[in-house]
Amino acid sequence: MRKAARLTVLACLFTLVAAMPALAGKLDDIKSRGTLVAGVKDSQRPFGFVDEKTNQIVGFEIDLMQALATRLNAKLELKPVTSSTRIPMLTQGAVDIVAATMTHKKEREDQIDFSITYFMTGQKLLVKKDGGIKSVADLAGKKVGSVKGSTSEQNVKKAQPDCTVISFETYPEAFLALKQGKVQAVTTDESILVGIKNSDDKPEAWDIVGEYISPEPYGLGVAENDSDFRDFVNAALMDMWEKGEYQKIYDKWFGKTTKDYLPLTWKMELWP
Amino acid sequence: MHWDIVFRNFDYFLIGAYPKGPLGGLAMTVILAVGGIFGAFWLGLGVGLMRISKKPSLRWPAMAFIEIIRGTPLLMVVFWFYFLAPVVFGHTLPEAESALIALIVFTSAYIAEIVRAGVEALPKGQMEAARGTGLSHFQAMTHIILPQALFNMIPSFVNQFVSLTKDTSLAFIIGVNELTKAATQVNNRTLTAPTEIFITIAVLYFVICYCLTEFSRYLERRINRYQARGR
Amino acid sequence: MAYQFDFGQVVSGEYGQWILSGLGVTLQISGISIVLSLALGTVIAVLRLSKVKPLVWFAASFTEFFRNTPLLVQIFFWYFGSYSVLPEAVNQWLYARDFEFACGVIALTVYTAAFIAEEIRSGIFSIPKNQLEASRACGLSFLQAMAYVILPQAFRVIIPPLISQFLNLIKNSSLVMTIGVMDLTYMARQIEAHTFHGFEAFTVSTLIYLTISLIVSLGVNLYNRRVLHVRSR
Repeated sequence: MRKAARLTVLACLFTLVAAMPALAGKLDDIKSRGTLVAGVKDSQRPFGFVDEKTNQIVGFEIDLMQALATRLNAKLELKPVTSSTRIPMLTQGAVDIVAATMTHKKEREDQIDFSITYFMTGQKLLVKKDGGIKSVADLAGKKVGSVKGSTSEQNVKKAQPDCTVISFETYPEAFLALKQGKVQAVTTDESILVGIKNSDDKPEAWDIVGEYISPEPYGLGVAENDSDFRDFVNAALMDMWEKGEYQKIYDKWFGKTTKDYLPLTWKMELWP
Repeated sequence: MHWDIVFRNFDYFLIGAYPKGPLGGLAMTVILAVGGIFGAFWLGLGVGLMRISKKPSLRWPAMAFIEIIRGTPLLMVVFWFYFLAPVVFGHTLPEAESALIALIVFTSAYIAEIVRAGVEALPKGQMEAARGTGLSHFQAMTHIILPQALFNMIPSFVNQFVSLTKDTSLAFIIGVNELTKAATQVNNRTLTAPTEIFITIAVLYFVICYCLTEFSRYLERRINRYQARGR
Repeated sequence: MAYQFDFGQVVSGEYGQWILSGLGVTLQISGISIVLSLALGTVIAVLRLSKVKPLVWFAASFTEFFRNTPLLVQIFFWYFGSYSVLPEAVNQWLYARDFEFACGVIALTVYTAAFIAEEIRSGIFSIPKNQLEASRACGLSFLQAMAYVILPQAFRVIIPPLISQFLNLIKNSSLVMTIGVMDLTYMARQIEAHTFHGFEAFTVSTLIYLTISLIVSLGVNLYNRRVLHVRSR
């Protein structure tokens, strides 16, 4: 009875009380816990996806997180997030860090902090080859697939106000809609589009077209105002780059021999 | 058709990545449903008893709780607990647990109404007679009224369990690795067999829910016969 | 970091417009689905009570199957799975239109019709059997007897449970946001993504759903009281 009463009161309180929990000293938390909890994508080839053979989540961002966990002497624990859940999960402390193809945007700085850029790409369009869409201008009056809570969704609306954006939970769902002809294009970061395109039986049937609609630098998301942890993450990223560990991981997922070949054309910002 | 994709991933549908990884798939669905009905029964019993109480201080909060929860889509309740409960609790809850709490709170409002209907369906004289023999209100409730009321309502509880089992699919939206999530993961990776995959998991849900529905009908017949004999 | 409340931002200006347009879509999709599910549910119930075996069998499997699978899975099936079932030409014709909305309507209609069929069937059972026999004896066909004698009486009894099914439908319509229909819940999440003021957006949309539900249940209570009043006289 008391439990019921308490829950009733709680339900009412939802609308009245709100105070974010103070999060301090992630670095100590992780070390004493012995695990680094990372929010990653689980259906975003080649960044993070479920491997068919082992049923485990693997990918570029997972390897990056593993390298970070090693530097922390911690075990890595993965939590699948989507574009719409990753920021709330971080602000609530459900994950220590988010490595989920997240663009470093100014608006997001109010909620969370970002590491230095660990991946650089830009927003483009994935379309059916020879389907008549070559740039954003051709999207007028067309349906475009994207993902809820992503920057791409907001950018394309700005670039082409005359298109209808249909937002899905994940990019593969948006691609499935493209394959079935429900939308005429899927828009997001080129790196993601490459992965989607190559996950298809016939990658040659699809084209990635257009100028960059916007630049998309990815940053690792960390909790707001915890500079110790952010410094550690930044130092670790630069260390990975300098030691060639980053390039090795990059090659494993985006190298010439992989299906998702994407040349490494940018340099990480390295602090002297 | 690509039924081979379904066959190759059938173990993933059933238990997720277990034993090498976290438990998921149908096993997680069953855990959510069973845990949910257990929690919802006790919480719902409490709220239901408050609802039929004569004291306004108990009755009104219970009524408000029931009306608010029943007037809100489950999806909203799930979001509330997932995104906003940590603000109130002060710390985070893992997805599966926050989904479980949302399911318990949501279902308990419906259980409370079942409890109320069960108690109100009993003849008024029962309570009076029980009090007449010197039992307190509480004793009469726990020894005389509730056992009968709850027994009569067993089929309704089973039906609620069926709804709950279906409702666990919403946990997918906040990322719990249950059956629907497993299906969308496989669908997102393969992109060639959405029809086959969704038919398969629909059938898996159907098998569980249909068996439970039939079980509830069987119980209902048994209980009706039992009562007919008693009269 | 203290959370700054800002209800003003959510209920006014651009975001207020979003909420309103989301509410419009929710009401639209619910309204259309309510009408269609009532029609389909009635047909299924009548089929199930007919004496023609294949029809009875069809109606029974329809209700059992759609009642016992989650609506969310059904939505996914209609949206992603219908592709390989329907002919290509039909698909492309559908996709050129508002396919997301149509799928939402189909899923909500079929799911709710299965429940409505059961409510109607039990309503029909509550009418004494000899009424059907009597009307048949008067020379009415099965369908005529149903349409003029049985159903009008049955509907009077089952209006309250029917309305609670409609209410469920309105609440269930929140699930169509998973396939990109821009309903109230979808808009609440969009506002959260844009402003990070999820708390306010969810509060406002929850209150809207609650208001709809409370108004409808008040209506049902009034109806019940009136009918009871009529009966007690």
